Amino acid sequence: MIKRFLAAAAAAAALSVSAAGQVRTGDEGQLSASFETNTIYYVDDKGLAGSTPDDRFGSNNYLKIDYNYKKLSAGIQLEGYFPALYGYELGQQADPKKFFLGSKYISWDDENFSVLVGNVYEQFGNGLIFRSYEDRQLGLNNSLEGVRASYSFSRFVAVKGMYGRPRLYTDYAGSWVRGLDLSVSVADIFNWDNILLSVEGSYVNRYEALDKDVTMDFYSLGLDTPQLNMYSGRVNFGWKGLSVKGEYAAKSKDLPMPGSSRAVRGAAIFGEAIYSWKSFSVSGTFRMIENMGTMLTLYGSGTGNSLNYLPSLTRQYTYMLANLNPYQVNVAGETSGQVDVYYSLRNRNDRHRYWNFHANYSTAYTLNGSQSATGKVQLMWSDANVDIERQWNRKLKTILLYSRQQWSPSHGAQAETYVSNIFVGDVTYKFDRKKSLRAEVQYLLSSDYEGDWVAGLVEFSFAPMWSIFASDMYNLEGTRKNYYNAGFSFTKGRTRIQLSYGRNRAGYICSGGVCRYSPAYTGLNLAMTTSF
Amino acid sequence: MLIVAAALAVSAVSSAQTLPDVTVEDSRGKEIAVRSLLTGRPMIISYWSIACKPCIQELNAINDVIDEWREEADFDVVAVSVDDIRLVAGARAKASALGWDFTCVYDPNQDLKRAMNVNLTPQSFVVDADGKIVFSHTGYTPGSEELLFEKILEITETADGND
Repeated sequence: MIKRFLAAAAAAAALSVSAAGQVRTGDEGQLSASFETNTIYYVDDKGLAGSTPDDRFGSNNYLKIDYNYKKLSAGIQLEGYFPALYGYELGQQADPKKFFLGSKYISWDDENFSVLVGNVYEQFGNGLIFRSYEDRQLGLNNSLEGVRASYSFSRFVAVKGMYGRPRLYTDYAGSWVRGLDLSVSVADIFNWDNILLSVEGSYVNRYEALDKDVTMDFYSLGLDTPQLNMYSGRVNFGWKGLSVKGEYAAKSKDLPMPGSSRAVRGAAIFGEAIYSWKSFSVSGTFRMIENMGTMLTLYGSGTGNSLNYLPSLTRQYTYMLANLNPYQVNVAGETSGQVDVYYSLRNRNDRHRYWNFHANYSTAYTLNGSQSATGKVQLMWSDANVDIERQWNRKLKTILLYSRQQWSPSHGAQAETYVSNIFVGDVTYKFDRKKSLRAEVQYLLSSDYEGDWVAGLVEFSFAPMWSIFASDMYNLEGTRKNYYNAGFSFTKGRTRIQLSYGRNRAGYICSGGVCRYSPAYTGLNLAMTTSF
Repeated sequence: MLIVAAALAVSAVSSAQTLPDVTVEDSRGKEIAVRSLLTGRPMIISYWSIACKPCIQELNAINDVIDEWREEADFDVVAVSVDDIRLVAGARAKASALGWDFTCVYDPNQDLKRAMNVNLTPQSFVVDADGKIVFSHTGYTPGSEELLFEKILEITETADGND
């Protein structure tokens, strides 16, 4: 196993050296590529029972190659999982592929039209009825293998259509998806210079036979057609510092998630408003969803089995303790939203001295009383937080953050909620043009769940190449476990290599200049990205 | 090892990239072609997101010194947010309040990010006046923004020498 890890490290080093030296191919188009590996050697950890997979080695690898010649583009993405990193759903599928052609495309882009054959990445509107995308940190890729074409009639009307079968983990789902999206720029038609006003609409259809598996009787659950139809209508408006978006979406009878007991119709409302004036700005997002979960295939399960995009409308933290209990969307039904207010106080004569103030509030409730044993609408999540950033001079910057998070451990099924109060201090000191030190101190105060936590991080950087870091978070009252992590990163040009060792909880961690999602494990981690 | 061998082979024949012809959204949500941002001056393109603290550190650092840099060279800066629909409203509000003295565009389904082969943020590029990518740097440590300016100076001095 150690040999495999060392081989991966040697290969990464060789690749980084190679990437530094480019050879031009002339005027016959251009070839570019990127490579990413995330490789972990898992070690036994008596303090983290059940965290060591049978295969102590995990490695997710991606090589993407693109070729462009004038209006023609083509590319492939090779993927290798040797095996997939522990905790990634794509490695838990029945007979997952280890090395395969993950995506490919050939496209032609002209001034007014484009056509692509291959894997389609697309989003209609705000993603309520369709989004195909890749998230390597989550091991998710639901791109559509098929065809997409778009055409623009001057600045006034844009139309695009697509047809294909969606990717599900390392294979393809057994459904076919087609969609049409239309956008009309009313402001351009009437020549309104200072106003943005567009009206848009989308249609998506998923076709999947209902009789592929005799053990699954979808007819008894209320499905009577292999066709699922989804619609969306949108309005976008912008004037001076104001921007407003609205979308309504609906879908025909469907099973919104694995294990649904009956087929139901779905609907969603989405609204977003932003207002900016000088260094003050405020944004608000609101969303109401009812049975809008939509699977790529009725015969599958997992996070990756999703045709549309319904993310949690909450603040995304980079601090360990503030990210300890993130909210998961209740696709059966929720009313949620968040508001951000930003204000910056700046010294006109000195750009190195300023205050940045930020307040955020996010909340999510069950949509109706039937989702809870109490028969009432229940709070599932709320987070009221404020952070103040002060750049004192060229050398010193401080950030203070407070967050009060209230969350339902039963996802709204019961009335009980847990409360966490999180305090963070973050200091960056720049010794000179190259050397800097960053330190974080965090405390989570709670009388619920696992009780209090404390965490800290120290990072020393020697720009532009080196960074060394160490962090720890410790549960003071519940599990009394340490989650430590230490390592270094080396960056040269487009290549970055990070080697670290630690015990990690699942969640986002930012260090060495990059943020990434990390599953729970104890082990030695080699992460490398390069492009050439 | 097969995938690394393939990567090694490609790296040996890869060529200089130009800015791809991809559509993004401007600060009001209107679609614009990335290449329309080329003004005949060199350009720094820097990727960021709300959840990427080092990205915001880098853009703040560039904003802090941009007046001093512009005394020595004429160039543009474009900040590309890759926040999706979950956080893009907050990203627009934040970019506006922070007073970044450069162009902000939004790439909510990461079309430009994919086209420019950006795996992780932060990643910054220096593009010359013709749209050719001449330098790129991934990650951010305080002070590494100076690499971008050194490249801008190199381009402008070469261009002046050719005139």
